[in-house]
Amino acid sequence: MTGSAALALAAALALVATVAVVMRPRGASTVDFYLAGQRVGVATNAFAICGDYFSAASFLGVAAAVYATGLDGAWYAVGFAAGFVPVLLFVAAPLRRFGEFSIPDFLGRRLGSETVRLVAVGVVQLVILSYLVPQTVGSGITWELLVGEGVLGLDPYATGILASTAVVTVLVAFGGMRGTTWTQAVQFLLLLGALVWLAATVVAEGFHYGEAVESISSVPLDNPAGSTDGLTPEQSALHPGEPAVFGEPGARYGGLGQFALIVTLAMGTAGLPHVMNRYFTSPTGTAARTTTVWVLCLAGIFYSLAVMLGTAARDLIPAAVADRPWLAELTVDGVLRVPEHALPVLGRIFGEDAGLGVVAAGALVAVLSTIAGLLLAAAASWGHDVYERHINPRATQRQAVLAGRVTTLVTACAAAGLGLAMRPESFAAATPSIVATMVTWAFAVAGSALTPVFVLAIWWRRTTAAGAVAGMVAGLVVAVGMFTAGALTSGGLLREVLVTPTLLAAPVAVVTAVVVSRRTTPPADVERSWQTMHGTAADRRAERIARLMLAERRAARRWRRARR
Amino acid sequence: MDDGVDTSDTPAEVDATFRTLRRVAVGYFVVFLLAVAAFPVLSLTLDWWSSSRLVGGMSPGFLVAGFGLYVFFAVLGVAAASLSSAVEHRMLGTSREPVDDDAPGSGEDLP
Repeated sequence: MTGSAALALAAALALVATVAVVMRPRGASTVDFYLAGQRVGVATNAFAICGDYFSAASFLGVAAAVYATGLDGAWYAVGFAAGFVPVLLFVAAPLRRFGEFSIPDFLGRRLGSETVRLVAVGVVQLVILSYLVPQTVGSGITWELLVGEGVLGLDPYATGILASTAVVTVLVAFGGMRGTTWTQAVQFLLLLGALVWLAATVVAEGFHYGEAVESISSVPLDNPAGSTDGLTPEQSALHPGEPAVFGEPGARYGGLGQFALIVTLAMGTAGLPHVMNRYFTSPTGTAARTTTVWVLCLAGIFYSLAVMLGTAARDLIPAAVADRPWLAELTVDGVLRVPEHALPVLGRIFGEDAGLGVVAAGALVAVLSTIAGLLLAAAASWGHDVYERHINPRATQRQAVLAGRVTTLVTACAAAGLGLAMRPESFAAATPSIVATMVTWAFAVAGSALTPVFVLAIWWRRTTAAGAVAGMVAGLVVAVGMFTAGALTSGGLLREVLVTPTLLAAPVAVVTAVVVSRRTTPPADVERSWQTMHGTAADRRAERIARLMLAERRAARRWRRARR
Repeated sequence: MDDGVDTSDTPAEVDATFRTLRRVAVGYFVVFLLAVAAFPVLSLTLDWWSSSRLVGGMSPGFLVAGFGLYVFFAVLGVAAASLSSAVEHRMLGTSREPVDDDAPGSGEDLP
């Protein structure tokens, strides 16, 4: 790693660490550690949610998927962005108004059942682990490309995974939700800055988006064929027998496959624990709703830039190979062996080592901020829902926070271990982007098992604890079963639907939850829950208190000025 | 500091608001689903959608996937959030002091 690349990376990490130290929790309360005191403003929370949500899958994975499969790769971007529409319509405001610490906590209290809480903890942990592993893989890829060297006898990939996981575990355990909120907000701005810089540089160097799409769409789409040398043309899934083309759909998915992927990603967002937990930090339900609108706008900017840069990489890298010997080992006939290298390579082509440093810092920041959110979500569900409720109900606030910190460490170790077992090269032929694909698994489990039950609990009074448990289990079993079957199926429409199972698994979960709920008795205090979730009295009280505090502060300032 | 708002809601008010918000959410969600489902349908049925060239050489399909859908999601989000907040503002938290029947807007119903 050169001095300029190291400087870019060190500056980004130093900024993040400083923010974590300055914004660390002031007390030892669980509301402060898990929910940042429930006083996070709209803009800060929107930036933090983006930092949480825009992971390695968004930064490296979307550009990689577009690079490898053209328009079909853009479905990842569309699906990731679309996810906040159902969140806005069905979840954000009522969830915040009900309060609590985590998804299991919400479901457990709303349905008055510890069984619901514990089943939800199990599903949430599965989602968190499925989401954490691709982040660690992303950090390994970035370190491999940026630093290229390992420490203590480890290879660069393993070093990247262990170093990034260790750094973020310390930041989370130390900073809690307050520190993590601010570091995630700063990390998102760094991430967006890296993407905007790269896009501006590429355009300034003469890249024309439309012309590039037209030019690379005039020839069949070729990709490296596994471990063998040479390129293989992709076949169109929409027009059998014809080669796939970059600018047209069909390189990976048929019509149903496109829709199934978008539904899987869109429905999954509302069940992602690290994203939903952020809504509990908003001061009011209305603020949570407004925050989601901000996130939708920011996601549009972010993903449209990522799609453009994936296109730019496809267009510009083949011509760059001749003048840059370092590209030879990363490419086969001008096409990258690992699609996730698209953005870092583009950064190095146009910004030399400093450019690689900026992009790699952006990628590591994306990984770190998402890992931070996931570790906090894991801590909230283990620490609050299991330790405080079942293992040690008489725990002091200090003991509960310590349990959360220990949980972050254990979860981080598990994710790092699984990340070390995965090698992106092994999957390059099977999937457009291993990072984006693995994140899709997490979305599928969340969208199949959690989102349907979550939405029913918010919008259907008759939802019961038994119905929720049956719905979660049915959604989970169908989703995992379809995934497993999809992995064993080779190509075709059947596989497309099997690997993006929400289209089938979510309706199964809904029907199961409704049928079982109709045969069982809803909680006695459902009307009180309705008042809390769908009324705005608490919002108005919070706004009134905020206005009073503001007036008091202004009066105190005036009084101090008058005394002088 | 009296700002003329109640700090509690009656069950009837909350129920009416809940039903209105549910209609709003489901309505916007149907529009969202139709827009997302339209893309693969257009890809399968209209050659023009995927192979013609519009702005700077991009097909209508690429333009929509690259930019259009994000703008659509943002516009949909702004509209849904504004309407939901307006519904809550109008249906909840109004002062329960006697209403002056002659005051402008006092007899106005929500759509």
